Amino acid sequence: MNVISNNNIKCTIALAALENVVDPEIGLNVVDLGLIYVVNFDEANKKINAAMTLTTQFCPMGESIIAAVKRVLENTFAGEEVLLELIFDPPWTNERISEEGKQFLNR
Amino acid sequence: MLAGLNKDTLVKSTTHKVVLPFYLYAAISLLAATVMLCFSAEAFTRHYFHPHILAVTHIMALGWGTMMILGASHQLVPVLIEHSLYSNKLAYTSFLLAATGIPLLAYGFYVFDMGWPAKWGGRLILLSILSYVINLLISISKSNGKNVHAIFILTASIWLFLTAFLGLALVYNFTFPYLPKETLQYLPLHAHAGVVGWFLLLVMGVGSRLIPMFLISKYSNKYLLWVIYVLVNGGLLSFLGLFLYFPGSTYHLFPVLTVLIAFVLFGHYCLRSYNLRIRRQVDEQMKISILSVLLMLLPFVFLVSITGWLLSDKLNTQLVLIYGFIIFFGWITLIIFGMTFKTLPFIIWNKVYHAKAGLGKTPNPKNLFNNRVFIIMTMSYLAGFILFITGIYLADVFVLTFAAVILIVAALLYNWNVFKVMLHKAKIK
Repeated sequence: MNVISNNNIKCTIALAALENVVDPEIGLNVVDLGLIYVVNFDEANKKINAAMTLTTQFCPMGESIIAAVKRVLENTFAGEEVLLELIFDPPWTNERISEEGKQFLNR
Repeated sequence: MLAGLNKDTLVKSTTHKVVLPFYLYAAISLLAATVMLCFSAEAFTRHYFHPHILAVTHIMALGWGTMMILGASHQLVPVLIEHSLYSNKLAYTSFLLAATGIPLLAYGFYVFDMGWPAKWGGRLILLSILSYVINLLISISKSNGKNVHAIFILTASIWLFLTAFLGLALVYNFTFPYLPKETLQYLPLHAHAGVVGWFLLLVMGVGSRLIPMFLISKYSNKYLLWVIYVLVNGGLLSFLGLFLYFPGSTYHLFPVLTVLIAFVLFGHYCLRSYNLRIRRQVDEQMKISILSVLLMLLPFVFLVSITGWLLSDKLNTQLVLIYGFIIFFGWITLIIFGMTFKTLPFIIWNKVYHAKAGLGKTPNPKNLFNNRVFIIMTMSYLAGFILFITGIYLADVFVLTFAAVILIVAALLYNWNVFKVMLHKAKIK
């Protein structure tokens, strides 16, 4: 999955929550799809600095997926401000899909 | 290290308000065309240049095929050209002009009055296409990537404009004959500029982007797509040259062959995308799209036969009728069936759940329509389609009428599913 984080425990909680955000076209959640790049926690300032990508920069569902990721993080870590960055460098490739994700797509 | 870009890099998708009227109009047009087919069954036992057949053909080509493709392309333009659509106002203008022009033109053909209804219909449709071409041209010029898909869609839209322009010229030629040949003589040019230049080129340009995307395929071959592009356009331009300067020559098989090679290469492209896909499951809508690609082979078989008949100075009008029917009611319709339920649920899902994303479990877009009804619709449509071709071949009015009734049932089921998606209300668990 290769998610960068400065707090492994909180990152695990975040990713577990984000498994509920599903790409509507593919039917796979954003974590197993490999769309989440970074989830860093700024404890002092009560901020979450996250970075994610999309399967394509021109994804028609992009806005909805981003909004869902932001909302889930806000709900999971109430009281912390979520700063979500959308990045396309490095671009998403099929290689980022997790083993579970590949098994799901292979069904 | 990750090089961050900000959220503005996300290309904004076209609003549903632009796209949905096109979808709705197309759905109603399909129903209207099948009803007309039922009441005009007798016409299909005669020559293809019959007022009712002209009316049905234009409702299918413009009201159904073109309106649906225009709607979908307004939605897909950002994906294809990698830039947002330039103007929603131009898109609305394009819809209103076409929506008014198509019934006028169809009425003009149906009663065979080439006066003001047909002329105004043609003018409005031409202006509608012009709005679309301008919108597309500015959108592409503002985008960074002039990719092969963008060039396909732009060239296809220019062919559409030329088709409509020639069509309007032919309408004028009925009342003020000014062209060197009779109107009927120009029909192959008008029809093939539309079918090959507009529909085929667009399907190839859009399909080559969407098929690998939906299948999550590793396959990509831009060079092959450029070869296909040159072959299709080369074939059409050579057909134009042969039509104008060498009518009736055996060289007429050359453009058929050129486009056939392009089609085979496109089939190869789709097959490679399919074989290298990560997503093993292929839904019914994708299967229908793949079936429609295969169905493109049938018109080629008929086209070669028709060219053979033409070269021997005989023309089998039944063959021409079947050829046209396979294109509009077979190939184009099946593509649209697949495309509707591949794109419409996502447009509605985005509209209904965008503000509610992440609040709970939302239904999958695929669940917004009834898949069982979709399968029954497809089966009944295929049955009606095959039966109608049999009716044309046998020149039997009863078979034609019965087949048309089955097609009406399929069109009603299609409309039912389209309305079910469009009227979907939010359901969050």
